[in-house]
Amino acid sequence: MSHHRSGARGASGWRGGSATRFARQFLRSAKYVTFCLALVGAIRPCAAAELAVSVVEASGRALGDVVVTIAPASGAAVLPTSGPRSAVMDQRHRAFVPRVLAIATGASVEFPNNDDVNHQVYSFSPAKRFQLPLYKGAHHPPVSFDQQGLVVLGCNIHDEMVGYIYVTDAPWFGTTGPDGTLRITAPPAGDYRISIWSPLIADPPSALTRIVHVDAAEGATSRVQLTRALRARPEPRPRRGDWEY
Amino acid sequence: MGRRTCLALSLLCVAAAGARADERVSAVGVIDLRLVHSDGATSYLEGGPGLLRFDSSDDGLHLGRAFVALKARVTDIASVHAVIDTYGDHDRNPVDLSELWLELRPYPVSALRWRARIGAFYMPVSLENRGPGWSSVYALTPSAINTWFGEEFRTIGAEVEARWLGAPSGYLGDLALVAAAYGWNDPAGVLIADRGFALSDRPSTLFGGLGRPPMTFYHEIDRRPGYYAGLSWRAYDRLELRALRYDNRADPGASTLSGNYAWLTRFSTAGVRFEPTARWTFITQYVDGSTWIGPDSAGDFQFRMTYHSAFALTSFERGPDRLTARYDGFGTHQSQGFYGPPPADQSGHAWTLAWTHELGDDWQLAAEWLRVTSNFPPRLEYGGPPGLVESQYQIAIRYRFRFGF
Repeated sequence: MSHHRSGARGASGWRGGSATRFARQFLRSAKYVTFCLALVGAIRPCAAAELAVSVVEASGRALGDVVVTIAPASGAAVLPTSGPRSAVMDQRHRAFVPRVLAIATGASVEFPNNDDVNHQVYSFSPAKRFQLPLYKGAHHPPVSFDQQGLVVLGCNIHDEMVGYIYVTDAPWFGTTGPDGTLRITAPPAGDYRISIWSPLIADPPSALTRIVHVDAAEGATSRVQLTRALRARPEPRPRRGDWEY
Repeated sequence: MGRRTCLALSLLCVAAAGARADERVSAVGVIDLRLVHSDGATSYLEGGPGLLRFDSSDDGLHLGRAFVALKARVTDIASVHAVIDTYGDHDRNPVDLSELWLELRPYPVSALRWRARIGAFYMPVSLENRGPGWSSVYALTPSAINTWFGEEFRTIGAEVEARWLGAPSGYLGDLALVAAAYGWNDPAGVLIADRGFALSDRPSTLFGGLGRPPMTFYHEIDRRPGYYAGLSWRAYDRLELRALRYDNRADPGASTLSGNYAWLTRFSTAGVRFEPTARWTFITQYVDGSTWIGPDSAGDFQFRMTYHSAFALTSFERGPDRLTARYDGFGTHQSQGFYGPPPADQSGHAWTLAWTHELGDDWQLAAEWLRVTSNFPPRLEYGGPPGLVESQYQIAIRYRFRFGF
C-alpha cells in the first residue's frame, strides 16, 4: 500500500523535476527499505529456527551415524512422519553404507551392491525378516519396512558386514553427520523427547534420552555427552589382504 | 590315492556343473616374484639341514609363488572353492591343487549360523594366514607354527561350524564352534619328527611332494578317521581368539608297504589377535603336542616326540605401508627314539622383520629379513655343527588379479 503511494508520488515528483522533492522522496524510500529489511531480519530467525542435536564421545570426539528420534514429550499427539518414503543402503568395500540408516515405518530401502564381489543380504530381526539371494549391482527391488524396530543386516558371505536399519514411528528423526550433529527445521514450539541410538554406544538407554524445550524463535540445541567408551571403533578397519572373492 | 583322486574328480565335476549352470565363477590370484639373498645352510627342501626356504645357493631371482583361488557358485548357498598353486621349484607336480572343497552356507534364520565344508582345505587355525591359499597378510614367511600347519595338515574330510552371531542381540562379536572329521592325514607328524620346525612359505600341495627327496603327507594308512575341534571368538573389530585341539587318531603301528608310517599326532594350539587401534596389530599363538610311532611287541612306542612353539607378532599399518616384527621360539624333545645319542632335540628361535607397501590395488612391494638360530644334534650326520644361524633377505613384487565369468 505504502509502496504504491510512494511510487505514485515519486513518479509525479520526477516529472516536476524538483531536486528537493526528489531528495525528500529518496529519503522516504530509504526509510521504507530499512523498515523492510528490519522486518525480514525479525522474521528470518523464526523461519530458520532449527533443532540441533549433537552427540559427543566420552573422549570428546564427535560421533556420527547416531540415530536421533524426536517426538512430543507428552506422547499424546501422533504426527505423521517427516521422513522420506524411500532410502538406499549401499554396499561398498564389503561394508554397508551407511552403516546405520534411520527410516520411517512403511518406507522402503534399496540395497545396491557396488562391490565387485557378490553379497547375500539377510535379516532375521523380528521387525523384518528377509533375504536377497546372491547378487551384484541393483538386482533386487526395494524392500519395504512396515514395522517399527531395529533391523540388523548381515551378509551370508562376509560375516564382518553388519548394517542397521532403524525403523521408527517418530515424527522427526535422522542420523548425526560426521560432525556428530543432526540439524532439522525446528518442530512447533513445545517440549520434545529426544532419544539417540547407535550400535556403538555402551551408555545405558536411560542416559540417552533428553526432554528439550523448542522455542518458536530460537529453536533448540541438545548435546548428549557419552560417559562410556564406545563398544567398537566408529570406522571399521579396512581389511586389506583379507580379500574375499 | 584312489579315494583322493575320486574325491577330487567328483568335486571337480560339481564345480564344472556349477560353473555351467549359471556361469558364476570368480577368482583372485597372485604372482609373486622374489629377489633372494641367503646365507642359510642347504635347505631342508634340498634334503639339507637348513631351516629356510632359500639357502646360499639360491641367491637371485625366484618365483615366490603363483596361485589362483577360484570360487564357483553351484546354488545360492553352495559353492565350490579351489586353490591352484605353483612354486616354481622341483615339485613333481609343477602345478597342483592346494585346496578343493564344497561349501554350504544356509541363510541364517536365527542367531545361530551353520556352515559346512567337504573336501580338502586348511584348518581354521592361523591368525596370520588370513588370505586365500594360506597367504599371510603380515610377512612373506609365516611363523614356525603356521609354516608347519601349511606343510603337513590338510583337512580331507568334512567340517561343520556353528557360529553365534552377536550383532542382532547387540553384542558386537560372535562365537563359533568348529569340528571336523577327516582321513588321509596319517603321516602328519613325520616332518616335525624328522626335521623339527622351520620358517618357510612353501606349504605342501595335495598331490605333489615337498622338497627333495619328495615327502608326501596325504595318505590313509590305518582307516581310522581323525578329528579336530575348535573355538573362535571375535569381539568386533578388535579381538579374535582361536583355539583348536587336533588328534589324527592314527594307529602308530600301521604302515604301508611303500614305507609310509602312521604317526599318532595330537596337539593343542591357541592364538589371539588384538587390534587396539586401527594401526596396531598384535598376534600371539602357541602349539604344544606330541607324535608317536611304532609300538613294539610289548605295545610300547618306539619313538615319541613332544614339540612346542610360540610366536609374538607386532604390526603397524599406516596408509600403504605395513611394518611387522615377529619373534618365534620353538623346540622338540625326543622322549623315546631311534636317534642318538645325542637325542634329536631341536631348539631355536627366529626374528622376522617385514615391510609391505601397496602400489595401488594390484601391486604390492614387500621386503623381509629373517634370521633363525637353531640347534639340532642330528646335523652332525651331515658333517656340520649342530648349531646354525641362518639369514634370509627377500624383496618381493606381487601382482594381484581378479576375474570372473
